[in-house]
Amino acid sequence: MNLKNLTAEKLVGLYKNGDLTATEVITNVYEEIERSDKDIHAFLALCQQRAIEEARRMDAKIAAGDAVGPLAGVPVAIKDNMVIRDVPTTCGSRILENFVPPYTATVVERLRSAGAIVIGKTNCDEFAMGSSTENSAFFPTRNPHNLQRVPGGSSGGSAASVASGTSVLALGSDTGGSIRTPASFCGVVGMTPTYGRVSRYGLVAFASSLDQIGPFSKSVRESAQVLETICGFDHFDSTSADASVDEFVKNLDHPIKETRIGVPKEYFIGGLDREVKARIEAGIRLYESLGCDIQGISLPHTEYAIATYYLIATAEASSNLARYDGVRFGIRESGNSSLQEMYRATRHAGFGKEVKRRILLGTYALSAGYYDAYYLKALKVRTLILRDFQKAFEQVDVILTPTSPTVAFKIGEKTDDPLSMYLSDIFTITCNLAGLPGISFPCCKNSEGLPIGLHLMANHFQEALLLRVAHHFEKAGGFNL
Amino acid sequence: MKISEKDVEYVAKLAMLEVADNEKKELAGQLSAIVEYVEQLNKLDVGGIEPTAQVVTSVKHAVRDDRVAPRTGSADAGKTVKLFKVPKVITER
Repeated sequence: MNLKNLTAEKLVGLYKNGDLTATEVITNVYEEIERSDKDIHAFLALCQQRAIEEARRMDAKIAAGDAVGPLAGVPVAIKDNMVIRDVPTTCGSRILENFVPPYTATVVERLRSAGAIVIGKTNCDEFAMGSSTENSAFFPTRNPHNLQRVPGGSSGGSAASVASGTSVLALGSDTGGSIRTPASFCGVVGMTPTYGRVSRYGLVAFASSLDQIGPFSKSVRESAQVLETICGFDHFDSTSADASVDEFVKNLDHPIKETRIGVPKEYFIGGLDREVKARIEAGIRLYESLGCDIQGISLPHTEYAIATYYLIATAEASSNLARYDGVRFGIRESGNSSLQEMYRATRHAGFGKEVKRRILLGTYALSAGYYDAYYLKALKVRTLILRDFQKAFEQVDVILTPTSPTVAFKIGEKTDDPLSMYLSDIFTITCNLAGLPGISFPCCKNSEGLPIGLHLMANHFQEALLLRVAHHFEKAGGFNL
Repeated sequence: MKISEKDVEYVAKLAMLEVADNEKKELAGQLSAIVEYVEQLNKLDVGGIEPTAQVVTSVKHAVRDDRVAPRTGSADAGKTVKLFKVPKVITER
């Protein structure tokens, strides 16, 4: 059995017909992890015992003819920055090594209510800070398409797991592209919903005004199903949006003819790889052939997005990560006995290089004398970036760009130069700054067999439209264009 | 602006981080490159522009009703740890 060729929908159908049991599938998942994850390193922790028990219960329910959820018995992997009661949650950091949370994130509870079975926690850049999953304190994850390449980050473990068939679905979190970049590099679908759309109760905070949780899957339909399951108001998250939840799955096949697709000229620039550019242009032609109205647009403040992002995200991170002080959870180093020395010794031993660098940068941007020049300025430029999009969405329905300027880069290629790593997020970052939903899906492979991702963004709460436009691309054969 | 090793020391102190002597030079160099890069924002005139701290999309109420409701794990949160012991806060000089 190869999960690479099975979607959630097919799996549930096979269970209901009695052709397959959840127990067989979950058992197979762990055999596959045993076999292939020693090369890929997608997982940090497994919940095998509970998963198999859940599978048995699910099989009994199905055999009895009881009603089951739309994700009944479907294996799901969860990025290790979302808490699950009694399952270690490290965020890829030494500082949380051995931390076992006493509660479960809303997204995980909602997935379980729909019948999904959590199989394990996936590797990520430490506290989701990175674009390659090389910043994990434990080990880097490798790209299933080429083990010498990164899977993208920070949700690299989740993307690699879906791509390698060790899970069918996965959740990631996206602060500046952390779902969409790995989806692009690993050749799967990955989606960031509108800011506030999905509850973050139980997501470990990195940059609170940017973080969102979203799905990974092989097909657009599955992402629509996961999003429909996890989104909606949650009174445990004070930033949760009180917006009505559309039926994403049901609306997928509605026609997209005459949908206005904007192509921003600022995203087709110097650093864009020649082959990526050619495949994205082929994707645009496919949309044209589907009757969409392609329009050239301008998002003039795009070039300022990375600078804006790295000031805002690091400032928020420096504040959010102040809680890791060795007192309430995680490791504690005693230092030389005073409280402040204990704080410093713990944080020194617990945080990796990139996390320290970002805390320092964020602290600098917020410090007396620099707050106005850096942090406040970035918040104002963020307004200009948001306005660019508001103006564009008066003219078009969705915006099409490449997900990343390149295919997956080599392991180690950018680790010594943090700025060059930051620049790889250039096409995904604006979406988070403006709080918009975005989706990345495969648009063929390059000549070396490495996946290329196509990226669409829509206005706030327009996920139904976004998924529909992506679904039609898949249906027209665009994934293997 | 160039970030000096002294700046690194100062910011590390504010952030409760220890930076080893051999890391200071490397960090000063990396942070200088990043700060010089973000200073491109100075090319923009942001006079009269309101800051956006958060793109508020559709928030119902930031404060929920003060009612006791069951929640997985909430009862256990206090079971595992009864108190947090910390080193002396005030020390003699």
